[in-house]
Amino acid sequence: MIFEASQRTPRVELTPVSCLIRGECYPENISEWSEPILGALEECLGNDETEFVVDIELYYFNSSSAKFLFDFFEYLEESAEGGKSVVINWRYRAEDETMQEAGEDFEEDISACSYNLVVVEQAVA
Amino acid sequence: MTNEIESKDTVALHTFMQDRKTLFCYSGPMTEDLLTTISNPVRHQLSDKETEEVVAKRVFGVFIEQAQNIIRYSHHKTKATGDSIGTIAISVADDGFLIEAVNVVDPSKKGILEASLIELSVKDQKELRELYKKRLRDGPPEDSRGAGLGFIEMARRVKKFEFDFVESDEGALFVYRGWVK
Repeated sequence: MIFEASQRTPRVELTPVSCLIRGECYPENISEWSEPILGALEECLGNDETEFVVDIELYYFNSSSAKFLFDFFEYLEESAEGGKSVVINWRYRAEDETMQEAGEDFEEDISACSYNLVVVEQAVA
Repeated sequence: MTNEIESKDTVALHTFMQDRKTLFCYSGPMTEDLLTTISNPVRHQLSDKETEEVVAKRVFGVFIEQAQNIIRYSHHKTKATGDSIGTIAISVADDGFLIEAVNVVDPSKKGILEASLIELSVKDQKELRELYKKRLRDGPPEDSRGAGLGFIEMARRVKKFEFDFVESDEGALFVYRGWVK
């Protein structure tokens, strides 16, 4: 399932075994944008696959979207606690301390998933 | 009240904006649609200045939070559509940027806003980060229309911020100024 990017929302690609989020996130209405995504994520996580890999590469997100990301990670944690092997790759550009710090902030609340901070050389828009 | 704007006033407006090095200023009804529209020009303005990308992102981040605060909390609304009225500006200041925002505050919310900003103003970066994470886990305060994280987010992005409440015909104006380097 693909949610195309808009000026204020990232591209989200969901498959039964993976999720990719890339772009910027400061939607006009966070719940309107995030509810279908969290619903689709829940469906993906409910299958019998044993692994799920998440790549997140955000260049900017606003404070309302931080809450979405927190909820998003909670779904992943629950799934990992339930036995699925979940890998989260938080990708940020080397010079982007804001996104690095954000990645570190989320990491603290994650224990059941395997969480990696990944430096990317050149971001693809 | 008369509102005669003469040619010299137009020139004065131009000179005023140029002298204070204001790159962008909007004053009027603020909506999410408008914010979408002005986001790109604001970014262009910042990149035109050969600003470091990290600084431009911090400025943009504070700008978005302030604009959304006006949209959510301005107590001064347009009669026809109920859109929130406020002013937001980005200027070059010192060797960085000053982001300014003004809107009429709901009198019943003024006390709590003032208290929470005073609390934020005495925190260092480490404490702000901890508070941000705590708020993220605990969820928004009851009367917040966002995640309740906006002012903490701004405090993390600015070198310093100031705020004030100033009486006006429309009610008490909430004035927020944040410096980014």
